Order: sequence, then C-alpha cells, then structure tokens
Amino acid sequence: MKANKMFSVKALFLLALSVMMVLVTACGNGGSGDSKTGTADVKNEDGTYKDNLTISYASVTDVSKAKMDDKFHKFFTDKFNIKWDYNYIDWDSWPEKMRLWINSGDLPDFASWNYVNGDAMNYIDQGLFYKFPDDWKERWPETAKAYASTGLGDRLEEKVGGTYVLPKPVYFKNQPADPLLNQIGVIAIRKDWAKEVGFELKDAYTVSELMEYAKLVKEKDPGKVGSKLIPMSFNAGDLLTGFMMANNEHSRVESAFYKGEDGQYKWGPADESTLTGLKLMQQAYKDGLLDPEFYTWKNSEGGDAFRVTGNSAIAGLGGLASYRQDMDKAMKKNLNLDSSEVVHEALIVGEDGKYRNLEQVNFWSALIFSPDIKQEKFERIMDMIEYSVTDDAQRILNLGFEGEDWKEENGEIVSTIPEGESLEDKYPGRFEGLYVLGDDFSVINPAIKKEFRDRSVELYKEKAALSTEGGAMAAYDWDFQLYSSKSKDQAGFDYATEYANLILQPGDLEANWKKWVDGKQSLVKPVLDELNKEFAK
Amino acid sequence: MKPAAISPGSSKGEQSKFKRLFVEIWKYRMTYTLLIPGLIWLILFSYLPMGGLSLAFKHYRASDGIWGSEWTGLENFMYVFRDPAFIDAVWRTLYVNIIKLFITFPFPILLALLLNELRMRRYKKVLQTAFTFPHFLSWIIVSGIIINVLAYDGFVNSLLALLGLPTINFLGSEQNFYPMIILTDIWKSTGWGAIVFLAAISGIDQEQYEAAQIDGATRMQQMFRVTLPNIMPTVTIMFILSVGGLMSSGFDQIFNLANAATQNVSQVLDVYIYRITFQSSTDFGFSTAVSLFRSLVNMILLLLADRAAKWMGGDGLFR
Repeated sequence: MKANKMFSVKALFLLALSVMMVLVTACGNGGSGDSKTGTADVKNEDGTYKDNLTISYASVTDVSKAKMDDKFHKFFTDKFNIKWDYNYIDWDSWPEKMRLWINSGDLPDFASWNYVNGDAMNYIDQGLFYKFPDDWKERWPETAKAYASTGLGDRLEEKVGGTYVLPKPVYFKNQPADPLLNQIGVIAIRKDWAKEVGFELKDAYTVSELMEYAKLVKEKDPGKVGSKLIPMSFNAGDLLTGFMMANNEHSRVESAFYKGEDGQYKWGPADESTLTGLKLMQQAYKDGLLDPEFYTWKNSEGGDAFRVTGNSAIAGLGGLASYRQDMDKAMKKNLNLDSSEVVHEALIVGEDGKYRNLEQVNFWSALIFSPDIKQEKFERIMDMIEYSVTDDAQRILNLGFEGEDWKEENGEIVSTIPEGESLEDKYPGRFEGLYVLGDDFSVINPAIKKEFRDRSVELYKEKAALSTEGGAMAAYDWDFQLYSSKSKDQAGFDYATEYANLILQPGDLEANWKKWVDGKQSLVKPVLDELNKEFAK
Repeated sequence: MKPAAISPGSSKGEQSKFKRLFVEIWKYRMTYTLLIPGLIWLILFSYLPMGGLSLAFKHYRASDGIWGSEWTGLENFMYVFRDPAFIDAVWRTLYVNIIKLFITFPFPILLALLLNELRMRRYKKVLQTAFTFPHFLSWIIVSGIIINVLAYDGFVNSLLALLGLPTINFLGSEQNFYPMIILTDIWKSTGWGAIVFLAAISGIDQEQYEAAQIDGATRMQQMFRVTLPNIMPTVTIMFILSVGGLMSSGFDQIFNLANAATQNVSQVLDVYIYRITFQSSTDFGFSTAVSLFRSLVNMILLLLADRAAKWMGGDGLFR
C-alpha cells in the first residue's frame, strides 16, 4: 500500500514536471535573437581559413543528383574550409516555405529568397533579417559593385537605414542591351513545319498571325503527329505572357498597378486591351489550338509538347541563351533533332503592332541571412560571395576547370565538354554561384552555342529598339514596388489563373470580364486610393 | 434548535460533493493516472494553441510573438469581410458540405448494414479491408490517379472514344466538379466511416434478433426493425459531429483536384485560408481571423444540430 502511494505521488510529480518542461519549451522564445554573436573569422598565415565551419544554406537548386565530394563542390568546400548543410526547397513551395522559416526564426545561416518588397519591409522592421555591418561595402568591394548594379539595394537602404538583403544581379558585366527588357516573351516556332505549310518566318508576330500558323499546322499536320497534335503548347503562364502582355503591358502582377499619363494610378487589367488578349485566348482555345486541358499543366509542363514529345508547333521559350541551349539538348535527347535546323525564335507584338514588355529591373530574388548568424560564418559566406563575383570564379562556376572543361585558344575560351553534354551533367547540383545570376555569364558563355548566344542578344536588342520606337515598356515603378500595405497585399492576384478561368467560363466573355473587373474593385480601389494619396501628382 | 437544511447548492453541500469526488478519484487513482497523458495531449495540442486565436485581433509580428504583437481590435475582420472572395468562399463551403453531407453520410451506414448481413466471415473481412483501404491513401496520390484516369487522354475518355461515344471534359468543367468531389469522397471514406457503425452494430443484444426470428421477421425486416433503430444514437451523434464540421471542407481533396477552370467552384474556405496565408498576405492575423470565423460558425452549427436532435427526440452530444 505504501509502495503504491509512493508510486502515485512520484508518478504525479514526474508527470507534472514533464508538463512544466514541455510548456516552458513550447512557450519559449526560441533563440536569443542577438545578431552580434560569435567572433571574427580567423585565417592562418598562408591565408587559409583556420576553423572548419558548417554552413547551412537553402535554395531552389536541386541537389538530388549532386555528389557533394566531386571536384566542383570540393573546390569550394576546401577553398573556404566549410561543410555544407544544404536545404533544397522545391520551386513550387519556395515562397511558403521561406515565409514559414522567416516567421518562425528557423532560417538557415543564409538563403536564397524570392524577394517581395512588402515582405522585405515587414521582416526588416521586425528584425527577422541580419543587418550587415556598416563597413561591408569596403570589406567586400566586388560584391558591393554587383549589389549597386541592382538598383534595389541603395533604394532599400534609404528606406530602412542599412543593408539587410543582397538582391541578386541578373546582369553585372555583360548586359546585352539598353534599355534592358525582361527576358520573357520569346517564343519557339517549328521552322521546318512553317516551311512545309508555307508560313513566313519573321522576327516578330502578332498573336493572330501565330494563330494562323497554328491553324495551318492543325489542317496540314506537317509533323504527322495526328490526334496528339497541340498546335500551341502554352500553359496558363505562357498565355499570360504571350497573349495578354503582348496586348496590355499592365496585365501582369508586376505592372498591374501603374501611374498613368495623368499622374494618377490605374489598374491595368480593367483596361479594354485586356479584353483583346482574352478574346484571342478564348478563340485559340475554341479553335483547338491549345491543349484542351492546358490549365492543368504545371509550371514546367508548358513546352513539353514542343521539346519532349515533338507534338507542338509553338511554345514559350524565354530570352536567355541558356534556355535555348536546354531546348537544344532536350530535342536532341528526346526527338533526335538538331534544334538549329527546326527551331526559330521570335517575339510577339500586340494586335496594334506595338511591342510590349516589362522593364527589367536588374535583380531577381535575393540572399538573406539569419538574424542569429555567427559573425565568423557571416564573414566566411561573404568571402565566398566576393570570390564568386570575380572573373576567375565565374569561369569555374559556369565553365568548370581550365584544362579539363575548357581551354584558351587564340585568346578565346573554348569549352571542351563534349557536344550534347553540359557542365550540369558532369557536376550536378551546382549551387555555389551564390550571387550574380547565371544570366550574366550566359551572354558570353562559350559552353552555350554561339548562335544561341548571338540570337539571344539580338532579341534583347530588338526588344529594346521596339520598345523605344513606338512600343510600350511597363516601367518598374519604385514608388509602388517599395510601398507596403495590407490593401496592397490583399490585391495581389494570380492573373494567369484568373485569365484562364475567364476564357473557360460559359457565357459572353466581355460580360464575364466586366463582372470580374467589378468584383475585384472592393480590393483594387483601396490600393488605388492609397497610391494616389501617397504618390500621385 | 432547528438544524440548517443542506441544499445541494449550499457551500457545505458543494464541499461534500467535492470531497466525494476527491475520494472517488483517490479510490481509482491508478485508473485516473492513465488518463493523464491524454489530458496532457488535449491541453497541449487542443487548448494551448487556442491562445493563438488572439492573433485574429492583432497585427502579427514574428519578433514580438503571439503574445507581444500589437492589438488591432477588429481590423483584420474588416479586411476579411471586404474581400468578395471570402464571402463567396463561405457560401460555397456551406453549399458543398451540405450537399456532401446529405449524399455521403448514408453510405457508411448502408455499407455497415450490408456487411453485417454477410455470413461468410472471411469474405466479409476481405470486403471490409477493400473498402477501408482507400482511406489510407493520401489525397495527393488519389488526385494524381483521378487526374490521369479522367483527363482528355485518360482511361475513361479513351474508352469512350473507343466505343464511339463523345468524350467528356471531367477536369475542367464546373458542372462536373462537385460530382467528382462527392464520388471520390464516397469511394475514399465510406469504408472507414462504416467502422463506427459496425462497432455499434456489434453491441446490439443478440436476443433482439432471436426474438425477431421467432416472430418470423425476414433478414430485411431485422435490418430495418432491429439493427437500424439500435444504431440510431450513433447515427445521430455522427450526424451532429458532421454538421459541426460543415465549414471545414476537405482541403487536400479540393486543392489537389482544382485547377484554373474550376476556380469559381473550388475556392472553399480552407483553400481561401491557404491562399491568403501562403500566397498573398504576410499577416497571419488575417488568416487567423478567417479561421476563427470558421470555427465560430462550426460551433454554432454544432449546437444547433444538437438542439435539433434533442428536439426530435434523439440523443444529443451534450447532456
């Protein structure tokens, strides 16, 4: 009896203690939040790093096929005396995963973040990002130059009084054109099929012209693909770029709110030109030029019918030479076709003949650091970033190692990687190009066929010329982009899905569009009111 | 001197009541000790997180945490109610779930009654396993299978084409969306739902069947006159619980089967909450306000269903 009593009291005491511990842990703050922890990084006399550091990093580069001990990865881990704790984030869950990690204080040491201005202001205000030391630009000057080229860094500093994010430069030393327009809006056309059906090859087409070509292909089936034919292999995102933006530069989320000529803010999707794009989209769908279930396609599935199964005459491509190289590789692998023989790249212009696109602000995504990062880790990472920006590092990152993957001939760099293979095949999962995006080097990368690089630059120049000579370029409005409010957050719509939904609705398209515009006003009008109050002339 | 009457509400009466309760608990202390892990779980995962609901009235700042964030009164609700997509999502959720409730609810009962009539034990077990198995498949897998089977170039449409029949747009049709949701829900959850009713059936006194047989009742009559009335209290409770979940629709199912074409019929409250939490607003207070509203409506519906059940002479949840 006594033993029983003792057992009960002990058991109850232990249980109560456990509950207390769990409660204390559950309700605790989780981390000190002190951003000045750790000591300065220490180097040996020969300039190597004394301590081996484990650095955690999160990004969307898939490392499932990577061998972390291959020559490429080892080069960086040895040079900087580190071990990676790499966290792969799937592309589709990137925004939400980062949002959760940042809000819960679970950021790795540093991460590649899908930069959103409103969120950045909010997180910086809350102290959820590491604040850079004031002298960082002097300590890492090459990084500072690349940072300055983005345009965002300085503007953000003005607002928040310091550096908290490193926006990644799209171009640093190899900008292909001026003004720079977004790479989106380049399509791929089967030129062998075009020749067979008697369709003229040009540098730019209206959507109607492309639909004409698609109809010809549907009638004559030059590729003999029968019922599997999808004349235009476009998903909802491609349609937004190809059909909608070509007719209204303010039809996308990046530029939907814009300052009109009268100095007042407007909402682009309510403009009549949106209806032009929608009508064309619906017509293409009704005429069977699009896949009957294009709206179920995921991000990567847009151009598969073109480059994987070879069942399509037109697909979205994008303007980077690397995209073209990827298409070349995919067509060779899946269709045994030389893409140079069968692919023609072109731009899309509006039905009124005007070219439309977005001004390319020179950054895409950003690097952010945990507010709890230790000083030595921060410094080591910044050293890596500083190195990654140099010409030597850019060659290693994009071409591999001299003598093994490339050589110099008559003052020109020549890739020695066998044709049909790429550096990615040799060293999969290369995420060490931490800062300057691959777009920059792709302009001069000899591992990419010269014809692809030249055509890419040509199209950039063509875009720049078209947009300045009577075209319409949606300017990157810094006032709007750096403005943050609840109303603005609430009025961020998924336009690709919304437009796809509109053209699939039964009934009159114009009436449906007007109803849709009216339905959005309760969220759009507060944003317009705020913007006009704040920034209108 | 007249002794003071001890009424049940008097303090002395209360005292003795509590004393009796304490003595009772002490007497069965080992049994009550077994209850403690469950209670801890309940407190940790059901009651403590309720504190987070205060976010519905706050502007959430991760650095200040749930308790330290600034109070904003009803501001979040003001933003929520001005979004027409929210109002639409509320009505759509109720509409989908009411249809789902009335169509899918009888299926597990029917299945339980039919399985109960099977006399071959092994066959019954095989069937029960087959019916229960879909419950263990994730909606992501099920959705993938359904999308492949019902796509334009999927199995069903290929078969229709082979038979010379017109193909059907299953995935991109608003008209077909709810039937697809309901049918897949029936397929996936009927077997699992039947377990509760089978358990209730196994508790029926066998003498009732013997008496019915002596009276010459057929199998069908036994089913409807003995089995069904005996499981009615369970049916009522399950129905009340289902009504209490009318504002929560199967997020996994709808989210994975929806697409741009069915956006107007698929954005139920759970999908709306997901969208505003992870795809647009960064303020968790806003999504908590929507969640709180949903929970309140669910609770009101639960209480109403309980009252209605009692009013109709059945058993309710709360006695």
